[in-house]
Amino acid sequence: MIRRTIRVAVALGAALGMMLAVRQTAQAAEQVKVDVALAKPYMLAGQKQTGYLKVGLTGVPINDVRRTPVNVAIVLDKSGSMQGEKLRKAKEAAIVSIDRLGPNDIVSVIAYDQTVEVLVPATKVSDRNALRASIERLSAGGSTALFAGVSKGASEVRKFLDRGRVNRIILLSDGQANVGPSSPGDLGNLGASLIKEGISVTTLGLGVDYNEDLMVQLARKSDGNHYFIEHTTDLAQRFGYEFDDVLSVVAQEVTVRITCGAGVRPVRVLGREGDITGQTATTYLNQVYGEQEKYVLLEVEVEPQRAGTERSIADVTVGYLNMASKATDRISRSASARFTGSAGQVESSTNAAVMASAIEQVAVERNKVAVALRDQGKIEEARRALLDNAAFLNENAVKYNSKELGEYENKNKKDADSLAPGVWETQRKVIRDEQNARQSQQGQIKK
Amino acid sequence: MKPKLILILTLIVLLPIGALGWLGLRMASQEREIVENRFREALAGRLRDINATIIRAVEKRETELLRLLDRDSYDAAELREVVRKSPFIHAIFVLDPSGNRQHPPPDGPLTDNEKEFLERSGQIWRDKQVFFTTSESVGKSSSHGWYTWYWGNGANLLFWLRDASGRVIGAEYDRSRMLSDVVGELPNSDPSDPNLQRGRIALTGGDGLPIYQWGTYEPAGAEEPRASLELNHPLDSLSLLYFAPAVDLAGTFGRGTLFNLAMGIIALMLALVGLATYLYRENTREMREAAERVSFVNQVSHELKTPLTNIRMYAELLQQNVPENDAKLTQQLRVIVSESQRLSRLIGNVLTFARKQNDRLALHSVPGNVDQCIQSVLDYFEVVLRSRGVKIIFNAGANVTVTFDRDALEQILGNLFSNVEKYAAGGGSMEVTSEQRDSTTTITVRDRGPGIPKGQEASIFRPFHRLSNKLSDGITGTGIGLSIARDLARKHGGDLVVVASETGACFELRIHSPAASNTLKEPTA
Repeated sequence: MIRRTIRVAVALGAALGMMLAVRQTAQAAEQVKVDVALAKPYMLAGQKQTGYLKVGLTGVPINDVRRTPVNVAIVLDKSGSMQGEKLRKAKEAAIVSIDRLGPNDIVSVIAYDQTVEVLVPATKVSDRNALRASIERLSAGGSTALFAGVSKGASEVRKFLDRGRVNRIILLSDGQANVGPSSPGDLGNLGASLIKEGISVTTLGLGVDYNEDLMVQLARKSDGNHYFIEHTTDLAQRFGYEFDDVLSVVAQEVTVRITCGAGVRPVRVLGREGDITGQTATTYLNQVYGEQEKYVLLEVEVEPQRAGTERSIADVTVGYLNMASKATDRISRSASARFTGSAGQVESSTNAAVMASAIEQVAVERNKVAVALRDQGKIEEARRALLDNAAFLNENAVKYNSKELGEYENKNKKDADSLAPGVWETQRKVIRDEQNARQSQQGQIKK
Repeated sequence: MKPKLILILTLIVLLPIGALGWLGLRMASQEREIVENRFREALAGRLRDINATIIRAVEKRETELLRLLDRDSYDAAELREVVRKSPFIHAIFVLDPSGNRQHPPPDGPLTDNEKEFLERSGQIWRDKQVFFTTSESVGKSSSHGWYTWYWGNGANLLFWLRDASGRVIGAEYDRSRMLSDVVGELPNSDPSDPNLQRGRIALTGGDGLPIYQWGTYEPAGAEEPRASLELNHPLDSLSLLYFAPAVDLAGTFGRGTLFNLAMGIIALMLALVGLATYLYRENTREMREAAERVSFVNQVSHELKTPLTNIRMYAELLQQNVPENDAKLTQQLRVIVSESQRLSRLIGNVLTFARKQNDRLALHSVPGNVDQCIQSVLDYFEVVLRSRGVKIIFNAGANVTVTFDRDALEQILGNLFSNVEKYAAGGGSMEVTSEQRDSTTTITVRDRGPGIPKGQEASIFRPFHRLSNKLSDGITGTGIGLSIARDLARKHGGDLVVVASETGACFELRIHSPAASNTLKEPTA
């Protein structure tokens, strides 16, 4: 009797376990869609050539009910320059954003001038009125201890550091960091260290006086977003974008490992940091957002092959933490190319989307070179470089029928017209913002 | 007189206050110093506590690094995974026992991060003995430690560990991360924290600029910290500075003490000022009353002078008309004349004294014979002195014509002779000697009376001073005679002094008396 009961219980338990497992795998498969594609699935035989491999990662639409809880530190600049409208809008934006958080989310609010004050220590969002009051009493005055502000923000996030949450620091600044470490390199290193803990820093540069290199570097190295907010009136909207992202994380700790086949050498990862050792290129992303596409673009050098052969170009493994199941998922894909003697076949089979992405990343690199020239005061050379880049984009926009490249062409043209002192200072922020957004596919909604 | 009085009174008020104030301030400054030292000590203690907190965090980090680095294999992929996952480690390297680099692989492919690390740490590879010498200098027992390496914008930290086989594995503790971790250990700026409401603590790097600071006090640009502390190894490139306002000291020192001191001084000052004012008023009132009295006596004397002159004149006229054999009448008239002469002298003295008080004493020198003048005064006194049994001896030695004030000399001699009559008649003789030498006339008046008591030689010249002993008992006098005599002598460019003598009293009078031909003007004005 007893034995029978146990047997039934075991059977029931096993059935239940199986059902759960099935459900979980179903969910897991849906979190990130991985598309691996070559720019040219057909390559010309008999010659050494450059190829592009794109690994697209698209988050599934988020489920509002089971949204990933967040752990966010809002770090606000309250230096003297924030006085008035700027601080008022910043407070408003912070309050509105916090209102979007739920009872399972954790928030902290830090304000810094030359010192750092923790207005709201990391806490669950329960007493909204108290939170609001703490933010409201903020007033501006003093200098800008940005490094200390971020460090304290990190301390607050660390109190509830959890792989199952979206851990993020949202930093708002309108000025030059002038207390503590303040070079883009210093802040970049801090960002690189924070990302290892799963903490990203999103930087919002307000007005035209902040150091865009520092803010972009901090965001890039920690895989956060960067926003250039020229007009205070746009502040609430950008804060909103950031929270859209924060609240739609579907996967974290994303590792993209691309192992090239024989006769294929990984050259560089375009637009992102990547470790290349031997045949393997590895890139890490902190988060994938619902309905957004992030991609990793690898440039490879392919040894000459005989026509008619098919060669494996790369095996791709994408590992990520599934925020729905809290399990680590692994998805493997591979890409291979056929070699042909027909140039026409190569052209006709070219993947226009991958090509456009590759062109876009190359154009960003060229755009950066132009900025470096302008930084050295070589205005004329910078203008020529930008116009060349625009021409390059134009040519490829037509060739691959890409609206996206056409838009970037126009932006490069506008950049070329904005090199004169007086307008350049603002334009440089626009450019750095644009470069970063394109390299990290910030806010790129998958159509 | 009055400015001097005011000065004295002011000093009476100011000196004690000054002394008290000085003492008080000295005491206050000493106490302040003690309090300040105690205060600094407290601040330094606070910094030591903070240092201890930071060092604990570093030790925790050390344990963590030890756990990560103490491994059996130094496989490149595994080490890269450690670097990728540890937020603190920027790069890892491994040296074999002979000091050659084993990781990052000298021949294998390197990541960008490793290339960058090798590039920037080039100095270490040129001088790779650093870890071996470091460990040796610390002692063989030490198998791990921190190495500070100055590169870029400050001190960078390498943590190294030597395994049993002698290989060294090291990890770069990212500088930004290290600073951020230290900042994380330090308190937030909390405006409601009473400890720091009036202070500011700053963590500074090698350049002395703040990396992180907290506390609501805002130090001025070049303000010196009240306390400072260099952090312990391996963070000795960082310092803690404590700024606090000076007001803080007054606060602890006790505003009460300063207040009490100030109140004490003010109270004392008020009391002394009151006292000085009282004394001043009293003094001026007395002076005014005295001046009124002198003025009264002066007026009375003036009124007496004219009738007295008439009495004397008629008495002397009468003397000449008295029959020679009428001894009784002659005697009576002589008394009248002599008494009126005495009264004249007295009035003369009073008027002279009053003039001197009003600073109107003036001499009118005219040519004349000193001896004749002496003789005429002696003539006045002859009768009265003889009647008291005093024999006059006159050794005349100044029978020349010089310029001098006859009235003044007569008044001086009158006073001297009158004194002999009053006090030294018992001596039986009075010797007057005159001598002229150059422009100085010296007249000595010597008696054989009881003399002047020892120690009183100076005081007899003070106005209203009368020797209080048997000598002066029952003898009338105003007590201004000698004083006036000396004042006149001094006014006359000479002096009147007591000369020591074996018996009786001896006065020596000197006056300036230039030869008549030399000048007709007053010798002194």
